[in-house]
Amino acid sequence: MRHARVAWLIAAAAFGSACDPVHDDAVSALGGETPGVPQGPLHRAGQPCAECHDGAFGDPPAFSLAGTLYLDATGLTPVSGAIVILQDANGVTSPPMTTNEVGNFFWTPDQFTPTYPVQVNSVTVGVVAVAMHSHIGGNGSCAGCHVDPPGPDSPGHVYFNAPPGMTP
Amino acid sequence: MTARPIAAVAVLVGGVALACSTAPSDARFVATPPDETSFAPVALMLIQACGTLDCHGTVGRNLRLYGNTGLRLRPGDVPTALTATTNDEIEQDYMSVVGLEPEAMSAVVASGGADPERLTLVRKARGTEAHKGGAPFLSPDDKEGVRDECLTSWLSGKTDPSPCTRALMQP
Repeated sequence: MRHARVAWLIAAAAFGSACDPVHDDAVSALGGETPGVPQGPLHRAGQPCAECHDGAFGDPPAFSLAGTLYLDATGLTPVSGAIVILQDANGVTSPPMTTNEVGNFFWTPDQFTPTYPVQVNSVTVGVVAVAMHSHIGGNGSCAGCHVDPPGPDSPGHVYFNAPPGMTP
Repeated sequence: MTARPIAAVAVLVGGVALACSTAPSDARFVATPPDETSFAPVALMLIQACGTLDCHGTVGRNLRLYGNTGLRLRPGDVPTALTATTNDEIEQDYMSVVGLEPEAMSAVVASGGADPERLTLVRKARGTEAHKGGAPFLSPDDKEGVRDECLTSWLSGKTDPSPCTRALMQP
């Protein structure tokens, strides 16, 4: 009898912790998968990755930080092969991460678990390197702040600010 | 009537009287906030240290900070280091900071900035109170404590812009 009660309490706690209506709404707002793009490293470019990749029970693998890099502010041409390096509040530098075919990049917690705030030390394409002007305060999804269209509360998607004539 | 019901009625009447009483209007608190004219360098420091879009550059925060690299005040502006923080944004930041704990802040100001940890703002920034954003005033990049010095000098009524300026040089 006592064991049954404990089991019910554990189940109720697990159920309760899995039910966050704000989180559920945020995930629902992302919509479904793009037809023809399977779940994996190439899916949902430009979306706030850590919304789902938060390591919660039943979710996809956790990302500590993740995003998508585009070539410029106005278009959605992805930049592949860019190398992104971060530095956390304790001066710990992330392993370099290379953007994939759709511009996605991500660190799993075993690769890099930063103490916030985090600086984007460099985003390098070829011999050109840029850095983000402000730091990341605590959101592991680049697209948590970098939302299109640009406005008073968003600078728009993450872009490389490529020099004129440069192609990804 | 026995003594017990009488006591109960007395407690009830007393409770109602207490609950319905209001403080006399002449006893209202009048805030004496820190100086607004010397706040600009402090605002720029706070914007950089605390005002990112995923922290206090958000409309849902009690401490809401507007600034060039975070939340913008004018509808046509976007977050970018390529433009400056506007005077209107600094004014809004001032209202936000002094509106957090007006009584405690007035007390700190009245005592010439003594014991600034009476303010939640200072405790959270120093990490002496739980803060999701960590302790930005204890950043390893801020070995001189210039962020702290910037804010506390303003609270003392003798704003020293030098540490505020040095704070902006940090990452």
